Amino acid sequence: MTLRESIVDALVEVRVNRARTVLQTLGVILGVASLVAVQGMSDAGRRQGLKFFSEFGGLKKILVHNKPLKERVQTAAMLDSHGLDWGDVEALRREIPMATQVDPIAEDEQTIRTPTYQKLREITGATPDYQTVYKFFPARDRFLIDDDLAQMSRVVVLGDSAARLYFGNEDPLGKTLYIGDAGFRVVGVLRRKEFYFNEGDRNALEWMNRLTIIPITALYSRFTGDPDKKVSFINVMVDKVENNKKAVAAINKVLARRHKGVPDFEVIDRKERMKQQQQEGQIFDLIFLATGILSLLVGGIVIMNIMMASLRERIREVGVRKAIGARGLDVALQFLVESVLVTAIGGLVGLPIGILFANGITALIGQPAVITPQMAMVSVIASVVVGLFFGLYPAIKAARLNPVEALRYE
Amino acid sequence: MLPASGSDPVIRLVDVTKTYDSGDTAVHALRGVNLEIGAGESIAIIGPSGSGKSTLMHILGCLDVPTSGDYDLAGTPVASLSSRALAKVRNEKIGFVFQAYNLLPKASLLRNVELPMLYGGVGRVERKERAREALRKVGLLERAAHLPSQLSGGQRQRVAIARALVNNPAIVLADEPTGNLDTQTGKDILALFDELGKQGHTIILVTHDPVVAERASRIVRIVDGQIASDGASVRAAAEAVVPAGVVAVDAGPVAFAH
Repeated sequence: MTLRESIVDALVEVRVNRARTVLQTLGVILGVASLVAVQGMSDAGRRQGLKFFSEFGGLKKILVHNKPLKERVQTAAMLDSHGLDWGDVEALRREIPMATQVDPIAEDEQTIRTPTYQKLREITGATPDYQTVYKFFPARDRFLIDDDLAQMSRVVVLGDSAARLYFGNEDPLGKTLYIGDAGFRVVGVLRRKEFYFNEGDRNALEWMNRLTIIPITALYSRFTGDPDKKVSFINVMVDKVENNKKAVAAINKVLARRHKGVPDFEVIDRKERMKQQQQEGQIFDLIFLATGILSLLVGGIVIMNIMMASLRERIREVGVRKAIGARGLDVALQFLVESVLVTAIGGLVGLPIGILFANGITALIGQPAVITPQMAMVSVIASVVVGLFFGLYPAIKAARLNPVEALRYE
Repeated sequence: MLPASGSDPVIRLVDVTKTYDSGDTAVHALRGVNLEIGAGESIAIIGPSGSGKSTLMHILGCLDVPTSGDYDLAGTPVASLSSRALAKVRNEKIGFVFQAYNLLPKASLLRNVELPMLYGGVGRVERKERAREALRKVGLLERAAHLPSQLSGGQRQRVAIARALVNNPAIVLADEPTGNLDTQTGKDILALFDELGKQGHTIILVTHDPVVAERASRIVRIVDGQIASDGASVRAAAEAVVPAGVVAVDAGPVAFAH
């Protein structure tokens, strides 16, 4: 008998025994639904994480920052350590071939004054690279330019919130902002940065809107007066993500040499960091996954049980089919098709339930809804595999029935 | 033994035995059966329960294989075929009619009749056509879409007969085909078998009912796993040109007197 005709027979069987079919599919529905939900939720999480990271450099970014030494007894070299400085930046620019940008940032605290505002605040010394690394573009006028850097110009660009804070409703462009004792001309206001992991959360990028950014050279000359030109951290952009590991190793090598082996810095691969975070998230995924697999197992066992019971009712039918010319293979195929049909129905019903489930949860925590092709794939594969696996035993049992005994069976 | 009323025998059993192991003791269900059945013959196999009649029927129907001996069915030696090959033989050469009709309860009459062709790999169009034709022959074409449960017993048995004939088998094997029917309906079914016999089908009726057996032209009686008698039925004998003396000793109704 052809597969097509076996499906016709199986459809009849499934339609006639509606109640039984519903019972058989329940476990598969639940199992597929939770697998689909896991798929959807982990996908939502992954997308969210990627999107967030892309807001300040994406995965191709390697962060080098100062790390305080913890040793209580320090060597002379350790005592001599003063962390990352401009020399490191230049060494990295020279010696890391896969680096497309080496972007140093120095921070300092200064009193900021306008006619309506006065407070001690953190100011950021940056280079023009900053805006491309952080995708932080001016909403009005301009960002820092190379000339500002070369001239140690007393210019400042403000985040949106900072501008409001310092100047209220007045137009800050062209106005003077006093940082310490020096007047800085406001040359640009930056576009607002916003990112909400979950609906109703605070803006995860608000810290950027509050930035007060001046040329890093001006920071050195006006405030720190630091001959070493220390930097707080360095963003190294790598040409492609595959080179991250190599870049990390190269950076470590260069800095270890320059810092005479003192581990007063740390090199962080954004890609690795993201992977780690996802692995933490995967524990949740695993729990859902286990639930799904467990439901599928239980559902499969239910299906096998009911198939066995149904086989007992249909022993005579198997006998008749065999008398009429069905081979063992035909009978096995009939039972297998029936169990796969049942689980496929379970998969079909489970898919939308799983999508609802995933979107319900993501909505609850305020994440955007997700429907991916992977969800459909998960449901199809899971349901068919369960049908085949748990249908196999009843199918083999049926195929092996002796026709004489099966015909005699009451 | 009667000469086969045709050319070569469609069935030839030579020294067929069947032994079942039931624990310590072996049950000898058949002890050396020799039987030839010609094409177009109508034959009844009778015998009390436990005589080996059912075993013989199973072997004739290729549902089971003999322990020893040879069985040729329409030129094919089937005694040592695999179960897979036996399924093919059953499908192509044998039409079964059972006492309990054994129609598939969830399938329409048409699909029931299609079943042998489904396993025989007959294409959809031809299959439907032949199934309709078979249903028409038994007078149930207009009910093709009905379920077996919507029919009377006699009608169900007619569907079963249509199913048995649809692959144009070498033999039709009927096991107590009237056992579940009232007398009148039983007669109608037997009349249908008569009709089939006249059309040239080889029909083997297995029964314990002497009245049913009398409808056949030849009666084989099984006792204790062996053929006790084999001869023309009274009706056949009466119709025969040769005198009744040719009829084997205890064939026919007389046989049941003792």
